[in-house]
Formats: sequence, C-alpha cells, structure tokens
Amino acid sequence: MLVIRDLVKTYPSGVQALKGISLDQPAGVFGLLGPNGAGKTTLMKILATLLEPDSGTVQMNGADLMTDKDHARRMLGYLPQDFGLYPTLTAWQMLDYFAKLKGVTDRKQRHGLIDALLDKVNLSSARRQRLGEFSGGMRQRLGIAQALIGDPKLIIVDEPTAGLDPEERVRFHNLLAETASENTVVILSTHIVSDVSNLCSQMAIIRDGKILASCTPRQAVDGLKGTVWEAIVPREQVAAIKPHLRVISSQMFDGEVRLRVIAKDGRPAEEFAQATPVLEDYYFDLVNQAAA
Amino acid sequence: MRNPFHSSFAAVFWNEVLLNTKRVAPYALMLLFCANAVLWWGWGPAVAKGWATNSDFYIYRNYGGFSFILGLPIFTAVIMGDPVIRDFRLGVDPLIFSKPVGRASYLLGKFCGNFFVLVCCQSVFGLTLFLLQWVPFSGMVTLPVRVFPYFEHFIVVVVVSHLLLAAVYFAAGTLTRNVKIVYVLAACFYPAFIAFVQLLKMLPLTVRVLLNPMGFNFDFEFDEWRRSAEFINQQVVTYSWRAYANRASMIAITGVVLLLVYSRFKIAEAKRSEEMTVLNLSLAPARIPYTLDPAPQHRLLDCEESRERVTLPKITRTKHSTLLKLVAALDVDFRLLRAERSLIVLVPLAILISLFDLAFYRVVPEISYSATYATGTANALLLFLIGMIVFYTGEAIHRDRELRIAPVLWATPVSNSALLLSKWLATVLLTLAVVAMGGLTAIGVQLLRAHTPVDVRPYLVTYGVILLPNILFLTALVVALNGLLRNKYVAYVVEIGTVAGLFYLYQTGHNHWLYNPLLYDLWKYSDLTGAPLLLQRLYCLALAAVCLALGHLFLRALRNRGH
Repeated sequence: MLVIRDLVKTYPSGVQALKGISLDQPAGVFGLLGPNGAGKTTLMKILATLLEPDSGTVQMNGADLMTDKDHARRMLGYLPQDFGLYPTLTAWQMLDYFAKLKGVTDRKQRHGLIDALLDKVNLSSARRQRLGEFSGGMRQRLGIAQALIGDPKLIIVDEPTAGLDPEERVRFHNLLAETASENTVVILSTHIVSDVSNLCSQMAIIRDGKILASCTPRQAVDGLKGTVWEAIVPREQVAAIKPHLRVISSQMFDGEVRLRVIAKDGRPAEEFAQATPVLEDYYFDLVNQAAA
Repeated sequence: MRNPFHSSFAAVFWNEVLLNTKRVAPYALMLLFCANAVLWWGWGPAVAKGWATNSDFYIYRNYGGFSFILGLPIFTAVIMGDPVIRDFRLGVDPLIFSKPVGRASYLLGKFCGNFFVLVCCQSVFGLTLFLLQWVPFSGMVTLPVRVFPYFEHFIVVVVVSHLLLAAVYFAAGTLTRNVKIVYVLAACFYPAFIAFVQLLKMLPLTVRVLLNPMGFNFDFEFDEWRRSAEFINQQVVTYSWRAYANRASMIAITGVVLLLVYSRFKIAEAKRSEEMTVLNLSLAPARIPYTLDPAPQHRLLDCEESRERVTLPKITRTKHSTLLKLVAALDVDFRLLRAERSLIVLVPLAILISLFDLAFYRVVPEISYSATYATGTANALLLFLIGMIVFYTGEAIHRDRELRIAPVLWATPVSNSALLLSKWLATVLLTLAVVAMGGLTAIGVQLLRAHTPVDVRPYLVTYGVILLPNILFLTALVVALNGLLRNKYVAYVVEIGTVAGLFYLYQTGHNHWLYNPLLYDLWKYSDLTGAPLLLQRLYCLALAAVCLALGHLFLRALRNRGH
C-alpha cells in the first residue's frame, strides 16, 4: 500500500535529516523506531505533505503523495508530535471544524461521526468542555479522534505516547490497535520500544537518517534467541569487562550494575546467565553498533 | 543587617519588572503615550490659542487630560489586573509558594513591581513633553525651559490618581482570579466616574476637592477659552491644603485596599463549579478495559474481547466543498477573535472615541446633524481601526502556528484561499462590528443632545463608502505584510512605522489619493456620492485584491515548506 523510495531531505542549515529512505508497508501498524534526532519527524512530516523532500517518491495505493497534495490530504490522518488546540473551543466544536475541513458536508452524518469519535476515544462526557482545560491524555485522545475523521487510508502518529502516564499509554495503544484495518496503514513513530512491541506488525529502526533494519518485531526477537546473556556485576568491574563484550545495556541495580550482552559463541563469562531476548535488546544492539 | 535588595520582596518586584519587559503591552503603551504627547504638544489647543506649550497651566492641563481622557484608566487595568492571576494560570504558584516567601512580600512585590512599570510607561508622556521644550516649531510659544512643574504635576495628578486605581484593579484581579472582572471594572470606570463628578458638583468646594479621586481641577477652575494667552501663560498652578489632603487620603485608601488584599488572599486553588470537574480520569478503565499483563499481545487481545468496539459510521465526503470549508474556518476564526480578552478594553475605547468629539464639543451641522455625526465618527475611528486591524489580523494570521495547530490544519484537504480568506474576513467582521457600535453610540449621542432628526442614511453612506473599503484594504495589507515578514512583532513595528510615516507626510501637506488610499483628510460628506471619490474607492479595493493575492502566495510558500 505505502511505498517510499529513496527519500532525501537536507535542511537549509546543512543537516541531512534523511539519507535515502526506502520502505514498503502493507496494511497494518508500522513502527518507526529511533533515537531523538534520527529523522523520524522529518519522515513523518514528508508523509503528511507538510515538507518537501529534496528527492525520492512516496506512493499510497499507486497515487503519488508529493505531486497531488490535495488528494493525499484526503486520505490522510495526522497526529503530530507536538500539536496544540484552540483553548477556547470545546472538544465537539473542534472535531466539527476538522470534519468540515475534511469535506464531511452532510450535517447529520457529521454529527453522528463526531458523537461516535468522542465515544471511541472516551471523551463523550467532556464534549462541552473547553480544550484549554484538557489534560495531556485527553488532548492526545482528541488528537487521534481528529486523525480518524474521514476514514483515512494512511494514519501518521508521531511520538504519540511521549509524556503520557502508563494508564493513558495503554488506552492510546488500544485505540491505535483498533484503528488498524485491512485497508489502512498506520505509521507510528516513536523512541519507546514497548510501543512498537505492543502494537506493530512491521517495524523499522532509523538512525542518522538511514534505515538500519526493517522486519517484524517477532523476527527481530527470534534472531537473538540463545545469544542474550545477563549478569549483575560490581560497579568497579564494569570498566574492565565492557571492552571485551558486546554490551547491549548496563543499568544500575541495587548498588551494582546489571549488564546485558550478546554472545553468539556461548556464555561470555561465569557470572552470566542466559536471558530471554526482548525487542529492546535488538534495538539497543543495532543502535550501539551503528554508533560504533 | 539584611540587604533589602536581597529580600523576597525585592526578588518578586524585579521579577515582575523583568516579566513586563518581555510583554508587548508596556512598549505599546509607551509608544502610544509618546505619540499622544507629540500630538498634544504640536497639534493641541496651545498652538491655536497662543498658549505657551511649557507653561505651568498647560503642563497641568495635559497631565489632567492624559490621566483621564485617552483610556489611561483602562490601560492601568491592562498592567495591574493579572500579575497574580498569571502565576496561577501558568502553574508557577506551587513553585513560588513552596519557597519561604511571605504573603506580604509576595503581594507587595507584585503590586509595586507592576505599578513601577505602569509609572515608567506613563512617564514617557511627561518625558516627551519635557524634551519637546527644546524643539519648538515656528509660531509655537514657549517659556524658558522648566523642569520642576513636569515632575510635580506628574506625581500629583497622574501617579497618585492611578495608584488608587491600580490598587483597586490589583485587588479585584488577585481576589477573584478572574481577569474579566478587572476589565469589566475598567469598562465601568468612565460612566461611574462621570456620574460621581456630576454628584460632586452639587457639593461645597472643600468636599468636592477632598473627594475627587482623579485629582484634576482641584480648586483651580477657570474657563481657559475665555482668558487671554498672556493670562494663561502667567498662571502658576499651586495646590491648596485641600488638594494635599485629597492626595494623602488617596494614598491612605490605597493602603487600605492593599491591606484588604493581604487579609483576604489565599494560596489555595479557587473553588470551581462542579461542571468543570465532571471528567474523572480514574473512571476511564471502566470504559476501556485493560489488564496489567506484561505480555502486550495478550493485553490487546483481552481488550478486543472484553470491550464493545465503537464503530465509526460510514460517511460520504464532498470533493469540492471550498465554500463550506471557508465558512467553517471563518466561524472558528471569528469565535477565536471574539474570545480575545483585549476586546473588553477595546470596545469601550471605540465607544469613547466615537463619543468624545461629539458629546463634549459644539457640533456645527454641515448638511445635516446626522451627516456631521457620521463624518465625525468616521474620522475619529480611523486611527483606532488601523491599530485594531494591525493587532487582530496579526493575531489571526499567526495564531495557528503559535498554538501549534498549523501542522494538523495544513495536513487537511483545505485550500490556502479558504484558510487565508477566513482570517481576513473574521477580522473584517470584527472591525465592522466595532464600527457599528461606534455608529450606534453616535446616534445615541445625537438623540441625547437633541440633534434631531436622526437619519440613518448618512451613516450608511459614510461608513459604506469610506470605512468599509478602508477596512477591507487595511486588513488585506496587514495579511500580506504578516505573510511576507512571518514574524508578528516585526510586522507590528513595520506597520506602525509605515502608518506613522505616512500620517506625518499627510500632515506636512504631501497628501494625494494615490499614496493615501484611506483618503485621510481628503474627503467631505458632500463628495461621497461623486464619481471621482467612487473611483478612488475602487482603487482602494483593487489594492486590497492585490494584497490578498500576495498574501495567498506567501501562505502557499509557507505551507509548502511546512513551517
């Protein structure tokens, strides 16, 4: 459905944000994972027709999103990373406005849609509340509600769970999972690995404007089976151990350091025990290797 | 001994001064007061009557007018109304009140800091008049340079009067935490004060002087229009014991008001109505169930099974619905403009401006009273409307980006023309509403002064031929300039500078309709239906269309770049 080919974008400041990105994504939730400054938001903005790439193409169901922006915007639902709302309008008024802008002209249909959307994102009781009084979670839910208006074929959500509490995050995951359907592509950009493992059927890891890997979360984890080891070592020994191992992560734990490493040729040292691989191991390993 | 500059009072005081240096309002007020001073110095009655522009009487008279007439009591509300509200609105209050800062230090620091800023703004008027002594133009009468009267009258007439007003606004804002109440109080000032002065007129002189809160014309009343210029120039304004008692009592009342604020001020959140807190997020899991199972796939699966899914209804979308989108955007933009707090100040000001010339001076009918009233209000409102259009169009154009809603809006299939025209039309509608209010006020004054019959047609003709095209053009010009300059404040400076420059040119005789599309000072009521003037109006509308086209180009470039 979504085909991205050789996208390149350099900002006037000289920062090369995308260095030839290519991706193919069928229907479903696609996770774009990467550290801050990796180029995720730039890619999202290009997909949302808000930024022109220097070169490359983006096609959705065969239609070029870059050349016919109006057509692209009709099949698009976009929730940016950092967005605002008109504080003096109510939730209902805001959705009504966006529904009109998306061409839902029939009054009865529009009102039915807004009621259903508010119900879907659990904001029915806040329909008459001013947006200036909304909490962060409520704003995000309203944000996804506006992105769902008009039966979009491509939904782009850019770091939607940053700053949300665990309860709101779960609620948001559920909403996104419900949204994905047979003929919808949901692109979820995030730097939170658990967002991707919870939601996405496909994922890609991006760093410094390049795709480091593209696979399913299960493939990523399966590839590490039997190679991840964990040990708790005294803090003063870490510096001596680290150079000889492929360290995925090191975390302080009860005054000592919990080390996770990858070793394909068996136990790296006596104190290490085999660990069940998780998606974070794959991500950290890939990003660390790219940085090295 | 503790250094007073390191006290918590000093910290709050300087923080308020610092915050005000980052606001636009103080600079806008300074600019306005400076322009007022120049106008009153060079184009006031002194030049026409041969009064010395730095005579004791004229300095005193200017301060009296400045303190009362041109909206200073309302501007005092702008500075003094929300210093405490601001802390609560921005959520800084827990950070401040968790520090060892006393209530008195906090409140007094807030009050004094903001009042200091207000006095700095007001002093620009006095300082401008003071400096203008050195640059008289030919025909202007001046006495040898004077220093003391400028400062003496400024403190007695302006500072002390506004000290009490500032305390009242500060008290209202701090105790109610509602800035609208402050602005309503400010809007009520003029009718209340005029009624109070009418009451005072019935009382003996001593009581009258003692009770006059604005401290103008204490016991110094003579009809300056009937006196010779020589007499006026030799007048020395001195204050009697009654005047000093009045000023002392105003300071004492200010103290009482601040004491009241101190005793009633509470740090706790003000009570809100139950309506505002109906949404309890902790109830949400009942609506969207989930488990804390660490295995994510299971969690989502559980949700799917246990929860009734809300299915969105099928909708049909119209491909070409630009008009509906324009109306929707206009509706929202107009709502947002209407919600601007500053309107509470501007609407009474518009009424005051349209009323002032007509209510207090002799009106000589040109063709009819209605024609004269319509012409008078159209001229009086023009400068005010320019300021209003500059400000509100700037706000409307930059609002989407400032509120960070532009990315969402620009990702919808709405055309640039709908987005641009909605903002343009919203400002035009708002300005027309203010014009209508000014017109209604003029009709009201006409009726009150028994200048009948009231004929609506001259109002419609004057406003339709002069003000409407001017508003359309000015709004389009400001839209284009904001699109070009991309920075609201740079646009303000450029626009105000251009207006000031052009009006200077017009005043000095370089006034032609080709570079004066607003026709400032170029029309009389009898010209309004003539072909030449209508042609000039078409020229103005054509310029408006060109500006809108440019604005459209700038917005398209901006949207294509995504910022």
